[in-house]
Amino acid sequence: MSMAQVCCDSAVTAAPVAGPEAEARARARAERRRRAAEAGRWKHAAAAGTAAADATRKRSLEAGELLVARKHGAASVAGRRREMEDAVSVRESFAAEGDADGGGRRDFYGVFDGHGCSHVAEACRDRMHDLLAEELAAADGSGSAATWTAAMERSFARMDAEAMSAGGSAACRCDPHKCDHVGSTAVVAVVEERRVVVANCGDSRALLCRGGGAPPLPLSSDHKPDRPDELERIEAAGGRVIFWEGARVLGVLAMSRAIGDGYLKPYVSSVPEVTVTDRADADECLILASDGLWDVVSNEAACEVARACLRRGRARWCAEAAALLTKLALARRSSDNVSVVVVDLRRRDH
Amino acid sequence: MPYAATRTSPQQHSRVASNGRAVAACAGHAGVPDEVARHHEHAVAAGQCCSVMVQSIAAPADAVWSLVRRFDQPQGYKRFIRSCHLVDGDGVEVGSVRELLVVSGLPAENSRERLEIRDDERRVISFRILGGDHRLANYRSVTTVHEAASEGGPLTMVVESYVVDVPPGNTVEETRIFVDTIVRCNLQSLEDTVIRQQAMAAPAAPHNDHNHS
Repeated sequence: MSMAQVCCDSAVTAAPVAGPEAEARARARAERRRRAAEAGRWKHAAAAGTAAADATRKRSLEAGELLVARKHGAASVAGRRREMEDAVSVRESFAAEGDADGGGRRDFYGVFDGHGCSHVAEACRDRMHDLLAEELAAADGSGSAATWTAAMERSFARMDAEAMSAGGSAACRCDPHKCDHVGSTAVVAVVEERRVVVANCGDSRALLCRGGGAPPLPLSSDHKPDRPDELERIEAAGGRVIFWEGARVLGVLAMSRAIGDGYLKPYVSSVPEVTVTDRADADECLILASDGLWDVVSNEAACEVARACLRRGRARWCAEAAALLTKLALARRSSDNVSVVVVDLRRRDH
Repeated sequence: MPYAATRTSPQQHSRVASNGRAVAACAGHAGVPDEVARHHEHAVAAGQCCSVMVQSIAAPADAVWSLVRRFDQPQGYKRFIRSCHLVDGDGVEVGSVRELLVVSGLPAENSRERLEIRDDERRVISFRILGGDHRLANYRSVTTVHEAASEGGPLTMVVESYVVDVPPGNTVEETRIFVDTIVRCNLQSLEDTVIRQQAMAAPAAPHNDHNHS
C-alpha cells in the first residue's frame, strides 16, 4: 500500500515539471526561426574569391499564406586578374509593389563591375537598391514604363553623384580627391509578379532565358564606345572614340557609360537604358553577369548551361548554374573578374 | 584663379637633316623661362609626335615641386597608378628605375621608367619609358615648375611635354588625344592635391596676404 502510494505521488509530481520546460524550449525554437528569417532577408551575395550563395526561403505571410521566394544564385570569382572589383547585390522584397498592381513583391538584383578600384562598385552594391526604393516610393503608382525609366534614371544619377563625391571604402582607402578615374558598370533588374524591369549602364548584361526552343532574349544592350549610336553621342559631345586595344573613349575606357569616371564626363554617361518586359509562362530564368562572362560565353551557351542545371531538377539549380557559368568563363580563359546572378522565373506552380 | 589646363599646339616643326636621319625639333614654348625651355625641346623622329600641356596652380612653386619631384612616389599626385616600386637606384639619382603597376580599366598593365633628369634648383624632372605592357614606345616626358607673375597670392605654372612613337594603326591626333587625356588628368590631380595640402597646412590663414619684397 505504501509503495503504491509513493509511485502515484511521483507520477503526479512529474507531470507539471515537464510542461514549463517543454514550453520554454518551444518558444526558444520559434525565436531562433524568427531571427533566422529576419537575418536572411537582407543577405547579399558579394564575394571575394570563389563563392556561391543560395537564398531560397519559405516565408509565412500574415494570412498564413505560404510564399516561396524566388530561387536565385550568385557567384563571383576574381579570375586571372588579382583584384576583385566586381560586386553583386541581391535584395529580396526591397520595395513594395504599387497599389495599382494589386500588391505583390519586388526583388532587386544587381551586378557591378568596377574599374580603377573596387569602391564605386561596392557603393553601388550597398546603395543602389535604397536609392531606387526611394525613387519608386516618390513615383506615381501607375507602374508605367515611363515611370520606371524616370525612377531608374534618377537612381543612377544619384548613385553617380554619390560615387563621385565619396572617397574610397575602408578597404581601399582611396583619397576622395583622387578617385575620379574610378568607375563601375551597373546592370540592375527588378523582378515583379508580372514584369521584369532592367536598367543598364556599361558593358555588363541581362539576359532572359525562355523555354520552348525560343532564343535568348537580351534585356540590355552593351554600351561599347563603337556602338553606332554611342559613337554618335560621344562625338556630338566633343569626344573621340579611339581604337587603342579595342574601341575606347579618348583611347582610355572601353565602355561608353559608367557610374563614376568623372574625368571622362560628359563622354562617359551614367544614364541607364531601361527595358520593361512582361513575364511569360515559358520564362525559365534571368541571368545578370559582368563582361568577364559575356566576353567568352555567348547568350545561347549561357542559356544552355542554365537550362541543363534546371533539368537536373535540384532545388539549388540557380546557384549551380551561376557557379558553373563562372567556371566555364575561367575555363575559356576570361581575363577579367566574373560575376553571375541567376534568378528562377518559372511560375509558382512549377 | 587657375585656368583650366590648356593644350598648346606645337609650332610648325622645321626639319633638320642630321646623320642622314630626318629630325624635327619641337620648338620652345611661350612663357617657359629660357633656362629650362631647352628641356621641352624634344627631338621628334619620323613616326613620333609630341605635345605640351600647362597647368596653373594657385600655390607656391616649392609646394608644387615637392610633389612633382618624387620619382619614387608618383602616386602622390598621379592617377591610374596602383603601385610603384624602385627596381634600380634610390629614386633620387639619375638612372633610377621604377616599375609601375597600372589600375584596371586602362589599356596598360605596367610600365618600367627611368629617371633622366632631376634638377631641384631649376625644378626640372624627366623620365623615359623603358618598357612594360602598354603601347607607348620611346616615350620621354619633361615636367618643369615655374613661379608665375601674379598680383594675388602665389601662382605656379607647371609645364609637361612629351614625345612618343605613334603606335601602328593610330594617327598622330589619336595618340595625342590618348596621352593628353592621361597627362591632363594627372595635372588636374596635382592641382587638387597641392591646394588641399595647402588648405590643411594653414587652416587659420587660407589667404596669405603677406607680400614678399
